[in-house]
Amino acid sequence: MGQLVLLYRMILRPLVRQPGRALLIVFAVALGDAAVVAIDLAGDAAAGSFRSSMETLTGKNDLEVTAAGGVPETVVARVATLPFALHVSPRIEGHATVVASGETIPLIGIDLVGEANGEGAKTLDDAEMKDSFRHINDADAIWTTRAVGRAVGEKVELLINDQIRVYTVRGLIPDSAKVSGDAVLMDMGAAQLATGKTGRVDRILIKTPESGEFADWEKRIRAALPDGVMLNPQGSETVANRRMLAAFRWNLRVLSYIALLVGAFLIYNALSISVVRRRADIGMMRAIGASRGAVMGAFLIEAVLFGFVGAMASLPAGRLMATGAVRLLSTTVNALYVSSSPGEMRLTIGSVFLALVVGIGVAVVSALAPAREASLVAPTEAMARGRREYEVRVERKRDALIALVLVVLGAAAAQAPELGGMPVMGYLAALLFVGASAMVTPLVVHVVTSAGSGLLRRLMGVEALLASRSLGGSLRRTSVLVGALATAIAMMTSVGIMVGSFRQTVMTWMDAQLSGDLYLRPAGAVVADQHPTIAPGLAERIAKVPGVQSVSRFRAYEIEYQGLPATLAGVDIDLQRGEQSLSFLSGRPAADVLRELTSSDGALVSEPFANKHHVKADDTITLPLGERKATFNVVDVFYDYGHEAGFIILDRNTMLKYLPDPAPTNLAVFLRRGVNFEATRAAVQKAAAGSDVLMFSNGEIRRQGIKVFDQTFAITYALEAISIVVAIGGIAGALMSIVMDRRREFGVLRFLGATSAQIRKLILVEAGLIGLLANATGLALGFVLSLILVYVINKQSFGWTIQFHLPATVLLGSISVVYAATVLAGIVPARMAVRLNPIEVVHEE
Amino acid sequence: MSVDETGLRVAVRADANVPLLSIEHVTKEYSTESERVRALDDVSLAVGAGQFLALMGRSGCGKSTLLHLAGAMDFPTAGHVRLDGVATDGLNEQGLTKLRREKVGFVFQSFQLLNTLSVVENVEVPLLLAGHANPRPIAMERLASVGIAELAHRMTHQLSGGQMQRVAIARALVHGPRILLADEPTGNLDTATGNAILELLRRVSTDQNVAILMATHSAEAAAIADRVVRMRDGQIVQEPG
Repeated sequence: MGQLVLLYRMILRPLVRQPGRALLIVFAVALGDAAVVAIDLAGDAAAGSFRSSMETLTGKNDLEVTAAGGVPETVVARVATLPFALHVSPRIEGHATVVASGETIPLIGIDLVGEANGEGAKTLDDAEMKDSFRHINDADAIWTTRAVGRAVGEKVELLINDQIRVYTVRGLIPDSAKVSGDAVLMDMGAAQLATGKTGRVDRILIKTPESGEFADWEKRIRAALPDGVMLNPQGSETVANRRMLAAFRWNLRVLSYIALLVGAFLIYNALSISVVRRRADIGMMRAIGASRGAVMGAFLIEAVLFGFVGAMASLPAGRLMATGAVRLLSTTVNALYVSSSPGEMRLTIGSVFLALVVGIGVAVVSALAPAREASLVAPTEAMARGRREYEVRVERKRDALIALVLVVLGAAAAQAPELGGMPVMGYLAALLFVGASAMVTPLVVHVVTSAGSGLLRRLMGVEALLASRSLGGSLRRTSVLVGALATAIAMMTSVGIMVGSFRQTVMTWMDAQLSGDLYLRPAGAVVADQHPTIAPGLAERIAKVPGVQSVSRFRAYEIEYQGLPATLAGVDIDLQRGEQSLSFLSGRPAADVLRELTSSDGALVSEPFANKHHVKADDTITLPLGERKATFNVVDVFYDYGHEAGFIILDRNTMLKYLPDPAPTNLAVFLRRGVNFEATRAAVQKAAAGSDVLMFSNGEIRRQGIKVFDQTFAITYALEAISIVVAIGGIAGALMSIVMDRRREFGVLRFLGATSAQIRKLILVEAGLIGLLANATGLALGFVLSLILVYVINKQSFGWTIQFHLPATVLLGSISVVYAATVLAGIVPARMAVRLNPIEVVHEE
Repeated sequence: MSVDETGLRVAVRADANVPLLSIEHVTKEYSTESERVRALDDVSLAVGAGQFLALMGRSGCGKSTLLHLAGAMDFPTAGHVRLDGVATDGLNEQGLTKLRREKVGFVFQSFQLLNTLSVVENVEVPLLLAGHANPRPIAMERLASVGIAELAHRMTHQLSGGQMQRVAIARALVHGPRILLADEPTGNLDTATGNAILELLRRVSTDQNVAILMATHSAEAAAIADRVVRMRDGQIVQEPG
């Protein structure tokens, strides 16, 4: 009971009396925590929904059979006729674009009657559904989920590959099938026809009998399959995709935690100020019998309360922020990784738990040092005159030495390899450098404020002298403020440099990569793991157009290599053409590399693929292609920034030997020199009539690439903005505290002849100096962090080599905005200072 | 201006017939949450140039309020305060600040030095606030005049109480004010140090022709003044001739 009274008197009552301080801490916890919750929710929604509709419809299965380029129907027949009680569900899996809405949705082809009578009966058991099966032989019959919003009997235009056809909705997929979101269902035959996959299926799902060991069943089925056909537990692809997305999501999570780190600085600052202000009260409590533990406990409980309230406030804020984030994340996931449609976003018990753990955790950790300081207050301080200034001894030299040690440790961590595919040591290195920056900040603040005060006075008057001395005099508080803002600025700078470098690298790469004049692809959305095809004859028709020199065909397949997804592609190699500008890690001339590729059963692999699978030139890789397994010599590794999963490139003729489907997924058209571009483009367009393809000029495709790039990194800018807002909010709050703590000083200055304008200027100069110190420290830290991001974290996460580039103009602009915001954050505290009654504040003693 | 180029006060002597500080039927009321408090009630007082006047009375009798009105820190509710011929009730906030900068110096019981500045920097503050470009020679001269020039570059926490009050006096005099308002200047000092400070104030008044209005509880301290005015409940109760 006594402890509760102590808690109320020492903690709760002052909180109610100083709502501003409480609000500042809650704001820092809530906004930082909201960023974490938002990224978690949005990440789950954006990445968690891929293939979800593909995994339903046929009930629970155990195994899946897949093959690069599709599983031949002969294999389906072989598995289906095995003398075991297996349930076998062959499937076509693709995507269709609803022409009216432009929306791309999953397309699933199954043996409808077979499923409805067999294992899928549980999910497709619906009278209306079964009744609609009388249309099963109609080539235009489709079934849709209710989410598609079409009624039975309605006609729908669908774009599948490069063909638009009219389909009729014959039924609605029953809710019992639990297909989430939009999806189109077709009977197997119609789906094969529509997707151009005659004679093969994308996947066979198998349910093994309950009796016997699962491993034995797997062995028996494996024995019946050709070498190149893969047998995996069902959901392996989803697991592989999730594994591939892990690095992306990890990096986002780390970015979201930086706002929290900035918040931690500010909570620590606010609680430290609170302890200093309440030293006399604490001393009194100690004098009348409160133990050190009770005092420390009271302050930690205060932190728990702040964490709890902040976490609760973060939930609606995080949910709101996630709504915006999920769209950006879905775009990135689709562009770089895998088909995904944003799933439903719900605040689950898990989200609440995460918010509470993170919010309370950060508040308690930030409160540990101030709480300990409070517990060390001697009872005699109750008798001492009130300490109005925030004077805590700071061991500048010791802290600088610690900073040096952290720098050495950080540099060592940056050299370490990744752990489990994650750049854990890279993150650690970044954290150590942030720590080093925080530890060296008191020395920097001391040197600048003591050595620079004379110059500042000459430049900006007595207000600047007083401001700089005051900052230097409250070294710990100033250092924490500068540290918080510097961390946010460092994040902005480092991510800015990394993104700027990446952007510049991608632009340079596109210059080399995109040597065609026109590019064609099937209309519909561009998604990393979808490769809709173009009619095989189109390339020949375009090649005959006057003015066209040649056409290069590109065919891509999604394959799995060592448990991770990758893209296998076959390309027409023409040594006379512009691919000469492609660049390889070996530095060899492109012509030599391509000549070797065409003259042997060789393969090129992209840099991300090489890094993920630890492959280098002259190694061999074995790929499952159709029914066979084929081994290729890696001729070289090429730079690529288009696909994080990685590319394996074969000469088209080589690929056709294994995967004979001649339909390309993309065409690059090379025009003769000197031809009229627009006229030739129009002629190519005419030749493409009948195929629903999109055509882009070289410039247009580059612009598209950069647009996708910019969309990909939009989320990082949003997270940076949150950190900056947390920091600036903290600066405003801290400046208000400074005004309250130093009100006596402002009163004395008024007695000594200071005008309101001078007091106002003093506060604004202080804000400006904090901003200046934070900008300088933040820029230096940001530069170091950008090196870690570019050369360690990015390389280990995604496998891309980025050329370092300093986007000076963008950085300067951002820094100026932050600096202006910091100075503006001083306006309200300055008004507070001006409104103080000097007589009252001087005679409070 | 009362400060010349070297910062030393030039002879700006008031007409002998016109008091430097004139407080005429001044009333000062404050509003609290529940009531109005009359801190001064129809007070009249005149202080001549170079005169040392002690205000005596118990806590809350209105001494400090009178000092604030005399120092152009506040306006009276009724009546007039004239400082060197200027009526404070006719001034705006800027005008009051200007008057303080030029005519008034303050000394406080608890010194009120800025602890982030050195001794000499503290003394320079009033000149810097007034826009003086090179205050150092004047500040050093003032420190020498109060006997602590050798402490000029120390930080204030390295000083004794008496030394701090000397710094405060140097600061109050640095801009050459016509009147120095001292609120319990010896209240935080031991007797010997307090006496030394009173001697210093006496010397300042005599040598530099600065009027001093000193609020004090102590009859001993008041004894050093030319005149002693007693106050009770916001009124002057006795003013020996």
